[in-house]
Amino acid sequence: MQLRRVWLQDFRSHESLEIELDLGLTAVLGDNGVGKTNLLEAIALLSTLRSFRGAPTESLIRRGASEAIIRAEGVRDERDVLIEVALSRQGRTRVQVNRQRVQRTQDLLGALRVMVFAPDDLAMVKDGPAERRRYLDELMVVLDPRSASLQSDLDRVLKQRNALLKQCKGRLDEAAAITLDVWDDKLAGLASELTEERERLVAILGPRLQQSYAVLAGEVVPLEARYERSWSARSLGEALVDGRDDDVRRGVSLIGPHRDELDLRLDGLASRTEASQGEQRTLALAMRLAAHQLATDRLGEAPLLLLDDVLSELDPDRAAALLAHLPPGQSVITSASGLPEPTRPDAVVRVERDGTVALAPATIDGRVDDAPTGELGLSDRETTS
Amino acid sequence: MAAYAKPVEILIDELGRLPGVGPKSAQRIAFHVLKTDKVDAQRLADALIAVKDRVSFCERCFNVAEGPECGICNDDRRDDTVLCVVEEPKDIAAMEKTGAFRGRYHVLLGHINPLEGIGPDQLKIRELALRVASEPIDEVILAMNPNIEGETTAAFLSSKILAPFEITVTRLASGLPVGGDLEYADELTLGRALEGRRSLS
Ligand SMILES: [Zn+2]
Repeated sequence: MQLRRVWLQDFRSHESLEIELDLGLTAVLGDNGVGKTNLLEAIALLSTLRSFRGAPTESLIRRGASEAIIRAEGVRDERDVLIEVALSRQGRTRVQVNRQRVQRTQDLLGALRVMVFAPDDLAMVKDGPAERRRYLDELMVVLDPRSASLQSDLDRVLKQRNALLKQCKGRLDEAAAITLDVWDDKLAGLASELTEERERLVAILGPRLQQSYAVLAGEVVPLEARYERSWSARSLGEALVDGRDDDVRRGVSLIGPHRDELDLRLDGLASRTEASQGEQRTLALAMRLAAHQLATDRLGEAPLLLLDDVLSELDPDRAAALLAHLPPGQSVITSASGLPEPTRPDAVVRVERDGTVALAPATIDGRVDDAPTGELGLSDRETTS
Repeated sequence: MAAYAKPVEILIDELGRLPGVGPKSAQRIAFHVLKTDKVDAQRLADALIAVKDRVSFCERCFNVAEGPECGICNDDRRDDTVLCVVEEPKDIAAMEKTGAFRGRYHVLLGHINPLEGIGPDQLKIRELALRVASEPIDEVILAMNPNIEGETTAAFLSSKILAPFEITVTRLASGLPVGGDLEYADELTLGRALEGRRSLS
Protein backbone atom coordinates (compact mmCIF):
# COMPACT_ATOMS: atom_id res chain seq x y z
CA MET A 1 0.00 0.00 0.00
CA GLN A 2 1.21 3.50 -0.83
CA LEU A 3 0.08 6.57 1.09
CA ARG A 4 -1.03 9.75 -0.61
CA ARG A 5 -2.18 11.87 2.26
CA VAL A 6 -1.98 11.82 6.03
CA TRP A 7 -3.97 13.81 8.59
CA LEU A 8 -3.10 14.16 12.25
CA GLN A 9 -5.35 15.54 14.90
CA ASP A 10 -4.16 16.08 18.46
CA PHE A 11 -1.26 13.71 17.90
CA ARG A 12 1.68 14.70 20.14
CA SER A 13 2.60 18.30 19.30
CA HIS A 14 0.31 18.48 16.27
CA GLU A 15 -3.13 19.93 16.90
CA SER A 16 -3.92 19.53 13.25
CA LEU A 17 -1.68 18.61 10.38
CA GLU A 18 -2.27 17.53 6.83
CA ILE A 19 0.46 16.33 4.58
CA GLU A 20 0.65 15.00 1.04
CA LEU A 21 3.19 12.34 0.17
CA ASP A 22 4.72 11.55 -3.16
CA LEU A 23 4.70 7.94 -4.31
CA GLY A 24 8.49 8.20 -4.56
CA LEU A 25 10.74 10.05 -2.12
CA THR A 26 9.23 12.81 0.03
CA ALA A 27 11.61 14.95 2.08
CA VAL A 28 10.12 16.45 5.24
CA LEU A 29 12.25 19.38 6.30
CA GLY A 30 12.06 21.62 9.31
CA ASP A 31 13.98 22.75 12.36
CA ASN A 32 14.50 20.44 15.27
CA GLY A 33 11.44 20.33 17.51
CA VAL A 34 8.76 21.04 14.89
CA GLY A 35 7.46 17.48 15.12
CA LYS A 36 8.96 15.73 12.10
CA THR A 37 9.62 12.54 14.04
CA ASN A 38 6.10 12.72 15.46
CA LEU A 39 4.77 12.62 11.93
CA LEU A 40 6.75 9.48 11.09
CA GLU A 41 5.71 7.96 14.40
CA ALA A 42 2.07 8.51 13.48
CA ILE A 43 2.48 6.98 10.02
CA ALA A 44 4.24 3.92 11.44
CA LEU A 45 1.52 3.56 14.05
CA LEU A 46 -1.02 3.04 11.25
CA SER A 47 0.81 -0.16 10.48
CA THR A 48 1.52 -1.67 13.90
CA LEU A 49 -0.65 0.34 16.34
CA ARG A 50 2.50 0.88 18.38
CA SER A 51 4.90 3.74 18.69
CA PHE A 52 8.26 2.87 17.16
CA ARG A 53 9.78 4.91 19.96
CA GLY A 54 8.07 2.61 22.46
CA ALA A 55 5.96 5.45 23.84
CA PRO A 56 2.75 4.64 25.75
CA THR A 57 -0.55 5.68 24.15
CA GLU A 58 -1.12 8.37 26.78
CA SER A 59 1.93 10.30 25.68
CA LEU A 60 0.82 10.28 22.03
CA ILE A 61 -2.26 12.39 22.74
CA ARG A 62 -1.81 16.15 22.73
CA ARG A 63 -2.09 17.69 26.16
CA GLY A 64 -5.64 18.83 26.80
CA ALA A 65 -7.15 16.57 24.13
CA SER A 66 -9.03 13.37 24.94
CA GLU A 67 -8.08 11.49 21.82
CA ALA A 68 -5.65 11.60 18.92
CA ILE A 69 -6.68 10.71 15.40
CA ILE A 70 -4.48 9.55 12.55
CA ARG A 71 -6.02 9.16 9.10
CA ALA A 72 -4.30 8.14 5.93
CA GLU A 73 -5.51 7.81 2.40
CA GLY A 74 -3.65 5.52 0.05
CA VAL A 75 -3.80 3.02 -2.77
CA ARG A 76 -3.46 -0.71 -2.71
CA ASP A 77 -3.91 -2.85 -5.81
CA GLU A 78 -5.30 0.21 -7.60
CA ARG A 79 -8.03 0.62 -5.00
CA ASP A 80 -8.38 3.52 -2.57
CA VAL A 81 -7.82 2.64 1.05
CA LEU A 82 -8.59 4.81 4.07
CA ILE A 83 -7.08 3.86 7.41
CA GLU A 84 -8.24 5.65 10.55
CA VAL A 85 -6.89 5.15 14.05
CA ALA A 86 -8.24 6.88 17.14
CA LEU A 87 -6.11 6.72 20.28
CA SER A 88 -7.99 7.39 23.45
CA ARG A 89 -6.87 8.20 26.97
CA GLN A 90 -9.60 5.96 28.28
CA GLY A 91 -10.74 2.86 26.57
CA ARG A 92 -9.33 1.12 23.59
CA THR A 93 -7.71 2.19 20.39
CA ARG A 94 -10.28 2.21 17.60
CA VAL A 95 -9.32 1.30 14.06
CA GLN A 96 -11.24 1.54 10.81
CA VAL A 97 -10.20 0.48 7.35
CA ASN A 98 -12.46 1.93 4.65
CA ARG A 99 -14.88 2.92 7.40
CA GLN A 100 -15.17 -0.68 8.56
CA ARG A 101 -14.30 -1.32 12.18
CA VAL A 102 -11.28 -3.60 12.63
CA GLN A 103 -11.70 -5.85 15.66
CA ARG A 104 -8.29 -7.36 16.19
CA THR A 105 -4.83 -5.89 15.80
CA GLN A 106 -3.88 -8.88 13.71
CA ASP A 107 -6.46 -7.89 11.09
CA LEU A 108 -4.78 -4.53 10.60
CA LEU A 109 -1.23 -5.86 10.39
CA GLY A 110 -0.46 -6.34 6.75
CA ALA A 111 -2.82 -3.62 5.49
CA LEU A 112 0.02 -1.08 5.50
CA ARG A 113 3.60 -2.27 5.81
CA VAL A 114 6.12 0.16 7.17
CA MET A 115 9.79 0.02 7.95
CA VAL A 116 11.47 2.68 10.06
CA PHE A 117 15.15 3.69 10.03
CA ALA A 118 15.95 5.78 13.06
CA PRO A 119 19.05 7.00 14.88
CA ASP A 120 18.17 4.61 17.71
CA ASP A 121 18.81 1.71 15.34
CA LEU A 122 22.41 1.84 16.49
CA ALA A 123 21.15 0.06 19.62
CA MET A 124 20.54 -3.03 17.45
CA VAL A 125 24.30 -3.35 17.12
CA LYS A 126 25.58 -1.85 20.38
CA ASP A 127 23.04 -2.98 22.95
CA GLY A 128 22.22 -6.42 24.31
CA PRO A 129 20.71 -9.38 22.44
CA ALA A 130 17.13 -8.22 23.15
CA GLU A 131 17.45 -5.49 20.51
CA ARG A 132 18.58 -7.96 17.84
CA ARG A 133 15.85 -10.42 18.74
CA ARG A 134 13.34 -7.61 18.42
CA TYR A 135 14.72 -6.80 14.97
CA LEU A 136 14.13 -10.40 13.86
CA ASP A 137 10.70 -10.64 15.49
CA GLU A 138 9.45 -7.38 14.00
CA LEU A 139 10.65 -8.40 10.58
CA MET A 140 8.83 -11.72 10.92
CA VAL A 141 5.59 -9.86 11.59
CA VAL A 142 6.12 -7.72 8.49
CA LEU A 143 6.65 -10.88 6.44
CA ASP A 144 3.77 -12.75 8.05
CA PRO A 145 1.38 -11.01 10.45
CA ARG A 146 0.41 -14.37 11.96
CA SER A 147 3.79 -14.43 13.66
CA ALA A 148 2.51 -11.71 16.00
CA SER A 149 0.19 -14.12 17.78
CA LEU A 150 2.91 -16.74 18.15
CA GLN A 151 5.15 -14.10 19.71
CA SER A 152 2.52 -12.82 22.11
CA ASP A 153 1.51 -16.37 23.12
CA LEU A 154 5.11 -17.21 23.88
CA ASP A 155 5.51 -14.02 25.84
CA ARG A 156 2.45 -14.89 27.90
CA VAL A 157 3.66 -18.45 28.60
CA LEU A 158 7.02 -17.10 29.77
CA LYS A 159 5.35 -14.60 32.09
CA GLN A 160 3.18 -17.36 33.57
CA ARG A 161 6.07 -19.78 33.91
CA ASN A 162 8.22 -17.14 35.58
CA ALA A 163 5.39 -16.29 37.97
CA LEU A 164 5.15 -19.96 38.92
CA LEU A 165 8.93 -20.26 39.37
CA LYS A 166 8.95 -17.18 41.55
CA GLN A 167 6.17 -18.59 43.74
CA CYS A 168 8.29 -21.70 44.33
CA LYS A 169 10.79 -19.56 46.27
CA GLY A 170 13.64 -21.85 45.31
CA ARG A 171 11.92 -25.12 46.27
CA LEU A 172 9.73 -27.15 43.97
CA ASP A 173 7.04 -29.22 45.70
CA GLU A 174 5.27 -32.04 43.91
CA ALA A 175 2.13 -30.05 43.04
CA ALA A 176 4.15 -27.18 41.55
CA ALA A 177 6.32 -29.66 39.64
CA ILE A 178 3.23 -31.15 37.99
CA THR A 179 2.01 -27.71 36.95
CA LEU A 180 5.47 -26.76 35.73
CA ASP A 181 5.48 -29.85 33.47
CA VAL A 182 2.47 -28.48 31.65
CA TRP A 183 3.96 -24.99 31.24
CA ASP A 184 7.21 -26.56 30.02
CA ASP A 185 5.33 -28.47 27.31
CA LYS A 186 3.59 -25.32 26.22
CA LEU A 187 6.81 -23.31 26.27
CA ALA A 188 8.77 -25.96 24.38
CA GLY A 189 6.14 -26.16 21.63
CA LEU A 190 5.83 -22.42 21.00
CA ALA A 191 9.52 -21.72 21.54
CA SER A 192 10.66 -24.35 19.05
CA GLU A 193 8.34 -22.88 16.46
CA LEU A 194 9.65 -19.35 17.02
CA THR A 195 13.29 -20.43 17.13
CA GLU A 196 12.97 -22.28 13.85
CA GLU A 197 11.27 -19.25 12.29
CA ARG A 198 14.11 -17.01 13.45
CA GLU A 199 16.76 -19.42 12.18
CA ARG A 200 15.13 -19.63 8.77
CA LEU A 201 14.95 -15.85 8.69
CA VAL A 202 18.63 -15.40 9.56
CA ALA A 203 19.59 -17.87 6.84
CA ILE A 204 17.82 -15.91 4.10
CA LEU A 205 18.77 -12.54 5.56
CA GLY A 206 22.51 -13.24 5.76
CA PRO A 207 23.47 -12.76 2.09
CA ARG A 208 21.35 -9.60 1.87
CA LEU A 209 23.04 -8.19 4.98
CA GLN A 210 26.42 -8.83 3.50
CA GLN A 211 25.42 -7.11 0.28
CA SER A 212 23.79 -4.09 1.94
CA TYR A 213 26.82 -3.58 4.12
CA ALA A 214 29.14 -3.64 1.11
CA VAL A 215 27.00 -1.08 -0.71
CA LEU A 216 26.99 1.34 2.23
CA ALA A 217 30.63 0.86 3.21
CA GLY A 218 31.87 1.01 -0.37
CA GLU A 219 33.93 -2.13 0.15
CA VAL A 220 33.33 -5.81 0.68
CA VAL A 221 33.79 -6.80 4.30
CA PRO A 222 33.02 -10.36 5.40
CA LEU A 223 29.88 -10.15 7.50
CA GLU A 224 28.62 -13.23 9.28
CA ALA A 225 25.16 -13.48 10.82
CA ARG A 226 24.62 -16.47 13.09
CA TYR A 227 21.66 -17.35 15.28
CA GLU A 228 22.77 -18.72 18.64
CA ARG A 229 20.35 -20.71 20.76
CA SER A 230 20.55 -20.40 24.51
CA TRP A 231 20.39 -24.18 24.90
CA SER A 232 22.35 -27.02 23.42
CA ALA A 233 20.20 -30.12 24.05
CA ARG A 234 18.47 -31.74 21.10
CA SER A 235 15.13 -30.18 21.99
CA LEU A 236 14.10 -27.35 24.27
CA GLY A 237 11.87 -29.82 26.11
CA GLU A 238 14.93 -31.84 27.13
CA ALA A 239 16.89 -28.70 27.94
CA LEU A 240 14.11 -27.50 30.23
CA VAL A 241 14.22 -30.80 32.12
CA ASP A 242 18.00 -30.52 32.48
CA GLY A 243 17.82 -26.87 33.52
CA ARG A 244 14.85 -27.16 35.85
CA ASP A 245 16.88 -27.02 39.07
CA ASP A 246 18.61 -23.84 37.93
CA ASP A 247 15.33 -22.26 36.87
CA VAL A 248 13.76 -23.05 40.25
CA ARG A 249 16.76 -21.80 42.18
CA ARG A 250 16.87 -18.52 40.28
CA GLY A 251 13.09 -18.17 40.03
CA VAL A 252 13.21 -17.33 36.33
CA SER A 253 13.31 -19.06 32.93
CA LEU A 254 16.98 -19.17 32.02
CA ILE A 255 16.76 -20.74 28.58
CA GLY A 256 14.51 -20.24 25.59
CA PRO A 257 14.16 -17.90 22.63
CA HIS A 258 14.04 -14.96 25.05
CA ARG A 259 17.71 -15.63 25.82
CA ASP A 260 18.93 -16.32 22.29
CA GLU A 261 21.33 -14.09 20.35
CA LEU A 262 21.86 -12.96 16.79
CA ASP A 263 25.62 -12.85 16.54
CA LEU A 264 26.94 -10.41 13.93
CA ARG A 265 30.62 -10.60 13.03
CA LEU A 266 32.46 -8.11 10.87
CA ASP A 267 35.65 -9.52 9.45
CA GLY A 268 35.53 -12.18 12.14
CA LEU A 269 35.19 -9.72 15.03
CA ALA A 270 32.18 -9.21 17.30
CA SER A 271 30.44 -6.12 15.92
CA ARG A 272 28.99 -5.24 19.29
CA THR A 273 32.29 -4.83 21.06
CA GLU A 274 35.01 -4.64 18.46
CA ALA A 275 33.67 -2.56 15.57
CA SER A 276 34.15 1.20 15.29
CA GLN A 277 31.24 3.58 15.77
CA GLY A 278 31.15 4.20 12.01
CA GLU A 279 31.07 0.47 11.26
CA GLN A 280 28.33 -0.03 13.82
CA ARG A 281 26.18 2.70 12.25
CA THR A 282 26.74 1.21 8.82
CA LEU A 283 25.80 -2.22 10.10
CA ALA A 284 22.60 -0.92 11.69
CA LEU A 285 21.59 0.69 8.40
CA ALA A 286 22.54 -2.46 6.51
CA MET A 287 20.25 -4.46 8.82
CA ARG A 288 17.36 -2.16 7.94
CA LEU A 289 18.13 -2.13 4.22
CA ALA A 290 18.44 -5.91 4.10
CA ALA A 291 15.14 -6.29 5.95
CA HIS A 292 13.45 -3.89 3.55
CA GLN A 293 14.84 -5.76 0.56
CA LEU A 294 13.76 -9.12 1.92
CA ALA A 295 10.26 -7.81 2.65
CA THR A 296 10.01 -6.39 -0.88
CA ASP A 297 11.12 -9.70 -2.42
CA ARG A 298 8.79 -11.75 -0.28
CA LEU A 299 5.71 -9.58 -0.43
CA GLY A 300 6.06 -8.35 -3.99
CA GLU A 301 5.58 -4.84 -2.68
CA ALA A 302 8.06 -2.47 -1.06
CA PRO A 303 7.12 -1.49 2.50
CA LEU A 304 6.79 2.24 3.07
CA LEU A 305 10.23 3.36 4.19
CA LEU A 306 10.43 5.99 6.91
CA LEU A 307 13.87 7.49 7.49
CA ASP A 308 13.94 9.53 10.65
CA ASP A 309 16.82 11.96 10.71
CA VAL A 310 19.32 9.26 9.78
CA LEU A 311 21.61 11.51 7.77
CA SER A 312 22.79 13.62 10.70
CA GLU A 313 24.41 10.56 12.26
CA LEU A 314 26.30 9.46 9.16
CA ASP A 315 29.51 10.74 7.63
CA PRO A 316 29.00 12.36 4.19
CA ASP A 317 30.18 9.32 2.23
CA ARG A 318 27.88 6.91 3.97
CA ALA A 319 24.95 9.37 3.80
CA ALA A 320 25.49 9.70 0.06
CA ALA A 321 25.73 5.91 -0.31
CA LEU A 322 22.46 5.45 1.56
CA LEU A 323 20.61 8.02 -0.53
CA ALA A 324 22.05 6.63 -3.75
CA HIS A 325 20.93 3.14 -2.86
CA LEU A 326 17.50 3.84 -1.40
CA PRO A 327 15.38 0.88 -2.34
CA PRO A 328 12.60 1.37 -4.89
CA GLY A 329 9.20 2.21 -3.51
CA GLN A 330 7.76 4.96 -1.38
CA SER A 331 10.00 6.68 1.16
CA VAL A 332 9.72 9.59 3.55
CA ILE A 333 12.87 11.13 4.96
CA THR A 334 13.11 13.82 7.63
CA SER A 335 15.98 16.20 7.99
CA ALA A 336 16.72 19.50 9.70
CA SER A 337 19.36 20.53 7.20
CA GLY A 338 18.19 19.27 3.82
CA LEU A 339 19.40 16.43 1.65
CA PRO A 340 22.92 16.44 0.26
CA GLU A 341 23.60 16.54 -3.46
CA PRO A 342 22.80 14.99 -5.83
CA THR A 343 19.62 13.65 -4.18
CA ARG A 344 16.43 14.84 -5.77
CA PRO A 345 13.38 14.18 -3.66
CA ASP A 346 10.15 13.92 -5.64
CA ALA A 347 8.46 16.23 -3.18
CA VAL A 348 9.63 18.49 -0.38
CA VAL A 349 7.42 19.38 2.53
CA ARG A 350 8.43 21.98 5.06
CA VAL A 351 7.05 21.91 8.59
CA GLU A 352 7.17 25.24 10.41
CA ARG A 353 7.49 25.87 14.11
CA ASP A 354 3.83 26.91 14.37
CA GLY A 355 2.79 23.57 12.90
CA THR A 356 1.95 24.78 9.40
CA VAL A 357 3.01 22.70 6.46
CA ALA A 358 4.07 24.05 3.11
CA LEU A 359 4.83 22.31 -0.13
CA ALA A 360 8.20 23.58 -1.15
CA PRO A 361 9.76 23.48 -4.59
CA ALA A 362 12.17 20.61 -4.74
CA THR A 363 15.50 22.19 -5.35
CA ILE A 364 18.51 20.05 -6.02
CA ASP A 365 19.72 20.02 -2.46
CA GLY A 366 16.22 19.73 -1.10
CA ARG A 367 16.50 23.05 0.67
CA VAL A 368 13.73 25.59 0.47
CA ASP A 369 15.13 28.76 -1.05
CA ASP A 370 11.99 30.42 -2.30
CA ALA A 371 8.77 31.33 -0.62
CA PRO A 372 6.35 28.41 -0.41
CA THR A 373 4.25 28.02 -3.50
CA GLY A 374 1.19 26.74 -1.78
CA GLU A 375 -0.15 26.25 1.67
CA LEU A 376 -1.73 23.05 2.86
CA GLY A 377 -3.69 22.57 6.00
CA LEU A 378 -4.33 25.09 8.65
CA SER A 379 -1.85 27.92 8.51
CA ASP A 380 -4.19 30.46 10.08
CA ARG A 381 -5.34 28.43 13.06
CA GLU A 382 -4.69 29.70 16.53
CA THR A 383 -1.62 28.57 18.34
CA THR A 384 -2.33 26.20 21.15
CA SER A 385 -1.63 26.41 24.80
CA MET B 1 -7.52 14.83 50.67
CA ALA B 2 -10.88 13.49 49.50
CA ALA B 3 -12.21 15.14 46.37
CA TYR B 4 -15.80 14.05 46.94
CA ALA B 5 -18.13 13.51 49.89
CA LYS B 6 -17.20 10.42 51.89
CA PRO B 7 -20.11 8.17 50.75
CA VAL B 8 -19.24 8.90 47.12
CA GLU B 9 -15.59 8.06 47.75
CA ILE B 10 -16.63 4.76 49.31
CA LEU B 11 -18.90 3.91 46.37
CA ILE B 12 -16.16 4.68 43.84
CA ASP B 13 -13.78 2.56 45.86
CA GLU B 14 -16.15 -0.41 45.98
CA LEU B 15 -17.04 -0.19 42.29
CA GLY B 16 -13.35 0.01 41.42
CA ARG B 17 -12.83 -3.45 42.94
CA LEU B 18 -15.14 -5.06 40.38
CA PRO B 19 -13.43 -6.92 37.54
CA GLY B 20 -12.96 -4.80 34.43
CA VAL B 21 -13.89 -1.56 36.19
CA GLY B 22 -11.06 0.94 36.29
CA PRO B 23 -10.98 4.08 38.45
CA LYS B 24 -12.43 6.24 35.68
CA SER B 25 -15.33 3.88 35.00
CA ALA B 26 -15.95 3.57 38.74
CA GLN B 27 -16.26 7.33 38.94
CA ARG B 28 -18.64 7.41 35.98
CA ILE B 29 -20.87 4.72 37.43
CA ALA B 30 -20.87 6.37 40.86
CA PHE B 31 -22.05 9.67 39.43
CA HIS B 32 -24.61 7.88 37.32
CA VAL B 33 -26.00 6.29 40.49
CA LEU B 34 -26.05 9.70 42.18
CA LYS B 35 -28.25 11.07 39.41
CA THR B 36 -30.70 8.17 39.24
CA ASP B 37 -33.90 7.81 41.26
CA LYS B 38 -33.68 6.22 44.63
CA VAL B 39 -35.97 3.39 43.44
CA ASP B 40 -33.43 2.40 40.79
CA ALA B 41 -30.57 2.46 43.29
CA GLN B 42 -32.66 0.38 45.66
CA ARG B 43 -33.36 -2.16 42.94
CA LEU B 44 -29.65 -2.52 42.22
CA ALA B 45 -28.85 -2.87 45.92
CA ASP B 46 -31.60 -5.49 46.35
CA ALA B 47 -30.33 -7.46 43.36
CA LEU B 48 -26.81 -7.49 44.79
CA ILE B 49 -28.03 -8.71 48.19
CA ALA B 50 -30.45 -11.23 46.71
CA VAL B 51 -27.78 -12.86 44.62
CA LYS B 52 -25.64 -13.36 47.70
CA ASP B 53 -28.54 -14.52 49.89
CA ARG B 54 -30.36 -16.83 47.55
CA VAL B 55 -27.82 -18.00 45.00
CA SER B 56 -24.73 -20.01 45.68
CA PHE B 57 -22.61 -22.52 43.81
CA CYS B 58 -24.06 -25.94 43.02
CA GLU B 59 -22.54 -28.53 45.35
CA ARG B 60 -22.06 -30.97 42.51
CA CYS B 61 -20.96 -28.96 39.46
CA PHE B 62 -20.31 -25.42 40.82
CA ASN B 63 -22.74 -23.79 38.46
CA VAL B 64 -24.78 -21.04 40.11
CA ALA B 65 -27.76 -22.53 41.92
CA GLU B 66 -30.77 -21.48 43.94
CA GLY B 67 -30.50 -24.28 46.48
CA PRO B 68 -27.91 -27.01 46.98
CA GLU B 69 -27.91 -28.18 43.35
CA CYS B 70 -28.41 -26.35 40.05
CA GLY B 71 -31.21 -26.86 37.55
CA ILE B 72 -29.03 -28.92 35.22
CA CYS B 73 -27.82 -31.29 37.94
CA ASN B 74 -31.44 -31.71 39.02
CA ASP B 75 -32.61 -32.56 35.51
CA ASP B 76 -33.01 -36.36 35.15
CA ARG B 77 -33.13 -36.19 31.36
CA ARG B 78 -29.49 -35.11 31.02
CA ASP B 79 -26.95 -37.64 29.79
CA ASP B 80 -24.86 -38.82 32.74
CA THR B 81 -22.13 -40.30 30.55
CA VAL B 82 -20.83 -37.05 29.04
CA LEU B 83 -19.31 -34.31 31.17
CA CYS B 84 -18.38 -30.89 29.83
CA VAL B 85 -15.76 -29.00 31.86
CA VAL B 86 -15.90 -25.21 31.65
CA GLU B 87 -14.11 -22.33 33.36
CA GLU B 88 -17.05 -20.23 34.52
CA PRO B 89 -20.81 -20.57 35.01
CA LYS B 90 -21.32 -18.10 32.16
CA ASP B 91 -19.76 -20.65 29.80
CA ILE B 92 -22.60 -23.06 30.65
CA ALA B 93 -25.07 -20.46 29.43
CA ALA B 94 -23.11 -20.18 26.16
CA MET B 95 -23.06 -23.96 25.69
CA GLU B 96 -26.75 -24.33 26.53
CA LYS B 97 -27.67 -21.79 23.88
CA THR B 98 -26.23 -24.07 21.19
CA GLY B 99 -28.80 -26.72 22.11
CA ALA B 100 -26.23 -29.26 20.93
CA PHE B 101 -25.17 -30.59 24.31
CA ARG B 102 -27.30 -32.83 26.54
CA GLY B 103 -24.71 -34.04 29.03
CA ARG B 104 -23.70 -32.59 32.37
CA TYR B 105 -21.25 -29.86 33.38
CA HIS B 106 -18.43 -29.19 35.77
CA VAL B 107 -17.29 -25.63 36.46
CA LEU B 108 -13.67 -25.09 37.51
CA LEU B 109 -14.32 -21.52 38.66
CA GLY B 110 -11.31 -20.17 36.80
CA HIS B 111 -8.19 -21.36 35.04
CA ILE B 112 -4.56 -21.97 35.97
CA ASN B 113 -3.01 -18.52 36.14
CA PRO B 114 0.22 -18.18 38.17
CA LEU B 115 0.31 -14.43 37.49
CA GLU B 116 -2.83 -14.14 39.59
CA GLY B 117 -1.70 -16.75 42.08
CA ILE B 118 -4.18 -19.35 40.83
CA GLY B 119 -2.91 -22.91 40.72
CA PRO B 120 -4.78 -26.23 40.44
CA ASP B 121 -5.54 -26.18 44.20
CA GLN B 122 -7.55 -22.99 43.86
CA LEU B 123 -9.80 -24.56 41.22
CA LYS B 124 -12.48 -27.26 41.47
CA ILE B 125 -10.10 -29.87 40.05
CA ARG B 126 -10.07 -32.28 43.00
CA GLU B 127 -13.87 -32.24 42.84
CA LEU B 128 -13.71 -33.03 39.13
CA ALA B 129 -11.50 -36.07 39.75
CA LEU B 130 -13.93 -37.30 42.42
CA ARG B 131 -16.86 -37.00 40.02
CA VAL B 132 -15.06 -38.83 37.23
CA ALA B 133 -14.22 -41.59 39.71
CA SER B 134 -17.74 -41.94 41.08
CA GLU B 135 -20.14 -41.04 38.24
CA PRO B 136 -20.81 -43.19 35.13
CA ILE B 137 -18.84 -40.84 32.87
CA ASP B 138 -17.49 -42.14 29.51
CA GLU B 139 -16.40 -38.87 27.95
CA VAL B 140 -15.06 -35.61 29.35
CA ILE B 141 -15.16 -32.62 27.01
CA LEU B 142 -12.68 -29.90 27.92
CA ALA B 143 -14.26 -26.60 26.93
CA MET B 144 -11.72 -24.17 28.31
CA ASN B 145 -11.29 -20.84 26.55
CA PRO B 146 -8.95 -20.90 23.54
CA ASN B 147 -6.24 -18.79 25.15
CA ILE B 148 -2.93 -19.69 26.79
CA GLU B 149 -4.33 -20.17 30.28
CA GLY B 150 -7.34 -22.13 29.04
CA GLU B 151 -5.19 -24.40 26.90
CA THR B 152 -2.73 -24.97 29.71
CA THR B 153 -5.57 -25.84 32.09
CA ALA B 154 -6.93 -28.31 29.52
CA ALA B 155 -3.47 -29.84 29.10
CA PHE B 156 -3.11 -30.14 32.86
CA LEU B 157 -6.47 -31.89 33.20
CA SER B 158 -5.91 -34.32 30.35
CA SER B 159 -2.29 -35.25 31.15
CA LYS B 160 -2.24 -35.05 34.93
CA ILE B 161 -5.77 -35.60 36.23
CA LEU B 162 -7.84 -37.56 33.72
CA ALA B 163 -5.15 -39.80 32.21
CA PRO B 164 -5.54 -42.64 34.77
CA PHE B 165 -9.28 -43.03 34.09
CA GLU B 166 -10.64 -45.23 31.32
CA ILE B 167 -12.57 -42.48 29.61
CA THR B 168 -12.38 -40.52 26.39
CA VAL B 169 -11.08 -36.98 26.86
CA THR B 170 -11.89 -34.50 24.09
CA ARG B 171 -11.09 -30.86 23.53
CA LEU B 172 -13.48 -28.50 21.77
CA ALA B 173 -12.33 -28.17 18.17
CA SER B 174 -10.69 -24.88 17.39
CA GLY B 175 -12.54 -22.57 15.12
CA LEU B 176 -13.30 -20.42 18.08
CA PRO B 177 -11.68 -17.05 17.75
CA VAL B 178 -8.16 -17.19 19.18
CA GLY B 179 -7.79 -15.22 22.35
CA GLY B 180 -11.55 -15.09 22.55
CA ASP B 181 -13.86 -15.96 25.37
CA LEU B 182 -16.42 -18.69 25.05
CA GLU B 183 -19.03 -16.24 26.21
CA TYR B 184 -18.63 -14.25 23.03
CA ALA B 185 -18.52 -17.16 20.62
CA ASP B 186 -21.77 -17.26 18.70
CA GLU B 187 -24.01 -20.30 18.98
CA LEU B 188 -23.17 -21.60 15.52
CA THR B 189 -19.39 -21.50 16.11
CA LEU B 190 -19.72 -23.15 19.47
CA GLY B 191 -22.07 -25.81 18.08
CA ARG B 192 -19.59 -26.61 15.33
CA ALA B 193 -16.71 -26.69 17.82
CA LEU B 194 -18.70 -29.20 19.86
CA GLU B 195 -19.33 -31.47 16.87
CA GLY B 196 -15.71 -31.35 15.75
CA ARG B 197 -14.13 -31.97 19.15
CA ARG B 198 -10.94 -33.97 18.98
CA SER B 199 -9.76 -36.74 21.22
CA LEU B 200 -6.79 -36.12 23.49
CA SER B 201 -6.57 -39.60 24.95
ZN1 LIG C 1 -24.92 -28.39 39.16
